[in-house]
Amino acid sequence: MVSVDVKDLGLRYRLQKRFSLAPGRQQAKATGGAIMREGGSAYVQALDGISFSLKAGDRLGLVGSNGAGKTTLLKVLYGIYEPTSGTVDVEGRVDALFNIRLGFRAGASGRRNIELRCLINGWTPEQISDRIDEIVEFSELGDFIDLPLKSYSQGMAARLAFAVATATEPEVLLMDEWIGAGDPEFQEKAKARMQEITEEAGIIVLASHNKNLIQKSCNKVLHLEKGKLRSLLSVEEWANGSK
Amino acid sequence: MASVFGEAVSDICAGLKRYYVWAALAREDLDDQHRRTTLGPLWMLLNYLLLAGAFIVVFGRGEDVGHHVAYVAIGLFVWFYCSELISRSVTLFKREESLILGTPLPITVYVMRLCMQAFIRACYSGAGCLLLLLFSDVSPSLMDIGYAVLGIALIAAITPAVVIVLAMAGAWFPDLQFIVSNLLRLGLFLTPIFWSYGGGDSLRDYIYMYNPFTWVLHVVRAPIIEGGFPLVAFNITLMIGLCCWIVAMWLLGSLRKKVVFVL
Repeated sequence: MVSVDVKDLGLRYRLQKRFSLAPGRQQAKATGGAIMREGGSAYVQALDGISFSLKAGDRLGLVGSNGAGKTTLLKVLYGIYEPTSGTVDVEGRVDALFNIRLGFRAGASGRRNIELRCLINGWTPEQISDRIDEIVEFSELGDFIDLPLKSYSQGMAARLAFAVATATEPEVLLMDEWIGAGDPEFQEKAKARMQEITEEAGIIVLASHNKNLIQKSCNKVLHLEKGKLRSLLSVEEWANGSK
Repeated sequence: MASVFGEAVSDICAGLKRYYVWAALAREDLDDQHRRTTLGPLWMLLNYLLLAGAFIVVFGRGEDVGHHVAYVAIGLFVWFYCSELISRSVTLFKREESLILGTPLPITVYVMRLCMQAFIRACYSGAGCLLLLLFSDVSPSLMDIGYAVLGIALIAAITPAVVIVLAMAGAWFPDLQFIVSNLLRLGLFLTPIFWSYGGGDSLRDYIYMYNPFTWVLHVVRAPIIEGGFPLVAFNITLMIGLCCWIVAMWLLGSLRKKVVFVL
């Protein structure tokens, strides 16, 4: 059964402040949340006391200002960040659409890029050979598929990235903003593909600043503020409250 | 402590299961480097032969080293492998930043990707080494060749541990890449690649005795040059390897999920 169960989730890490003789060099970086000092060290409380449960059919929208912790929460759900407190239990095959060009190599052909990206996503070579023709066909790149990626126009590269990133059948889909690509004709096709995979996924967690998109795609909305849960409402309650 | 080692073991198992990822990425890395060249990966063979040739010709005179061609050929083969691996290990996580921050792949995948690259490079320089050995004056027995292969296997077994230790150290202490590159430049001359032990107590002899690379080179070179099993060198290298693995397991188990925060 597909489900996401998050209990009292916290993510805190120490800011790596490095000594540097280089003038004006930024010493440390933080991804979001609240910065606090303890003793001589600075910590980022990226997430604090987040709890929610999702079951099959739920579409959760993550909202909040920049640095509120939306992307961090997605990365915790995906397993990139390990929580420092609380628990995260995800049942079901998870996939994420964060950076659709992840792992792309300019010198390799479009076809090879598809293979590499699918391997990174956890596909076996057999699964790739079964589906590669379908991905190539969706990208509409024709004979260009065997040319190096660096010979592609921006639009063609975006089509390839979209085709390979969305050739997935996740049970839990994590998205950092809605994705689209290419010319107006391809955008329609991309929209239909996104619709298809979001309908097929058991659970969706979508981080976005686009209110209309959240209202259209989600049934629950989790509002984050400086890494803390400000509210967890149904999309109707949230829409009424934010009018 | 047991849970730290358990974490490390689970990362290693998960990484090894993904062999098709790191094998494909390693192959692609090397293809990328030689994509538009005429000789392609044969440059790796040529690089080795050019340097080995220079050392054999330039340092051949005046050096009291028996079987000079074989001595330099094997020494440089092992040194090429070690230095390439060490210099690339310290910047490993920085190079892999986008994948580490964008996917939940186990750390072992990146470690094995580098090991695989090093292995492929070693195949090319190894072919050059064999070529030089054919023209040298050594004629090792089958048993001696077996001992040398055992030495290579020992170095290969230590490789992932060295990569883990240096990659972790390089992620937390980025200055290490410059320290290491300077040390490796010195190491080329301070390691007995083309010179040998003088049998006395000169500075050179102390460097020979206390440089760990001496023994790493010796486990492969001694069986071919001197014949027989190099027990002392093998034990020292084995001890270095065990220490590296203990540190690597501890680092991997305790820091693998913290790497994302230091990149």
